[in-house]
Amino acid sequence: MITFDRVSKRFGEVVAVRDLSLEIASGEIVVLLGPSGCGKTTTLRMVNRLVEPSSGTIRIDGRDTREMDVNLLRRSIGYVIQQVGLFPHRTVAENVATVPRLLGWDRARTHRRVEGLLDLVGLPPGQYAHRLPSELSGGEGQRVGVARALGADPDILLMDEPFGAIDPLVRGRLQDELLRLQQVLHKTIVFVTHDIDEAVRLGDRIALFSAGGALEQYAAPDLLLGAPASAFVDEFLGDGRMVRRLGLRRVRSARLRDPDGQGVPATAIDADATLREALDAVLGTGDGRVAVRESGRILGIIDSESIREAVR
Amino acid sequence: MSTVRYILDNWGTLGPQVETHLEIVAIAMAIAVAVGLGLGIGSARSARVAAASLAVTSTLLTVPSFALFGLLSIWVGLEDPPVIIGLVLYALLPVVRGTLTGIRAVDPAVIEAARGMGMGGAQRLLRVELPLAVPVILGGIRQATVMVVAIATVGAVVGANDLGQPIFSALYRSTATTPRILAGVIPVAAIGLLADGVLSLVQRRLARGRVAVGAT
Repeated sequence: MITFDRVSKRFGEVVAVRDLSLEIASGEIVVLLGPSGCGKTTTLRMVNRLVEPSSGTIRIDGRDTREMDVNLLRRSIGYVIQQVGLFPHRTVAENVATVPRLLGWDRARTHRRVEGLLDLVGLPPGQYAHRLPSELSGGEGQRVGVARALGADPDILLMDEPFGAIDPLVRGRLQDELLRLQQVLHKTIVFVTHDIDEAVRLGDRIALFSAGGALEQYAAPDLLLGAPASAFVDEFLGDGRMVRRLGLRRVRSARLRDPDGQGVPATAIDADATLREALDAVLGTGDGRVAVRESGRILGIIDSESIREAVR
Repeated sequence: MSTVRYILDNWGTLGPQVETHLEIVAIAMAIAVAVGLGLGIGSARSARVAAASLAVTSTLLTVPSFALFGLLSIWVGLEDPPVIIGLVLYALLPVVRGTLTGIRAVDPAVIEAARGMGMGGAQRLLRVELPLAVPVILGGIRQATVMVVAIATVGAVVGANDLGQPIFSALYRSTATTPRILAGVIPVAAIGLLADGVLSLVQRRLARGRVAVGAT
């Protein structure tokens, strides 16, 4: 668990983070969201002391981070940045082995760990271990970045807009993979982004900051979208608020209709699809009715009325 | 043709002069690389050190070699020592600048990642910054070596028995002046080209994946 206790950070006259108190529970993905200049990156960088707070205390599992050796603290926390920052003169395997080597792991253990991590992020070691970073695509590079951050199996992973420079298609895939990894790893992940969709998709909870480093709301995505705590939150989340909320709900959670006498429509959607996808399908049909299917069986019919009911 | 004959006829004298020349340059470059790397690393860490060492080393380059060797010979005596010290002073600027430029050219994201993973200052320098800066540092060393090989000839005025000797000996004679001068110049050019070639080969070998090597 990471605890921010009345933490502030000033750079000269400028206040980057203002009196922040925040608890990040173990095993959660917490997204720090907000416009540029809201202090979300500064907040992240205070966790591994790349930035030192001006006042207040940050604790990890109850321990004040200031009492720990700064380099040992950083080796115990994974760190992923937008520009990736792979060592260009080291191979993929050597990059991933960075922290294990700093910690003095023996060769065999490091080798096993590196191979396991490359497999985990979907880069077969046989094919990738000996490549140089210059021989990777943007998406592959960031996968290596994530593998490197997981090097010594840290409990905490800090990610600073890790997918911000990657094209939308690959970004979506990397987001899915991160969620899949999290199912297995259960890390405490602090994730910085300015992309609302990304925050909603990844976050167990979202901390929304406004300019000047004030925490506006800290809540699960559904609550943030459904009940904005301030005018700023409402405005920042913008017009797509309700549609984005649809993205959080599954079709199976809506009250479906019986086919009645109208028969089963030709268009069908999976019960695990989101209501956002369902709305898209509904808008694309002639009569606004879409069949809901689960492993070949039709569960019922969804239409715009049942979608509306589901988010009310 | 007469030059070739002159060189062959006088190899007994020229041979040791080639040897001394190589020795002076090698010793001077070894010291210059050690001192220059230190100053360059210090410069990369502190803007004040950078300003001071660039100012001093570039001023040194403006001192005429005649005067510098002469002055140094008053303090440290004749023959090789004043020449070696003088050459070290001349070679510093390219080495310092190469080191500074090379370290500064390392992608800030790479340094950020290194810090974030818990590498201390010395580990970042030895495992990341210097390895990445090596091609640019070698470029500076290459420049300095070629320069110093030529300037070393002036060392003959303070009594160094190097390839400046045949050149200066021509000044006081009316016969065979051209062969005498060429007997010094040709080996000097050959040594310079050879050093340049070898270092540029090493530089290119090491460039793989590292900081781009600027046109030199």
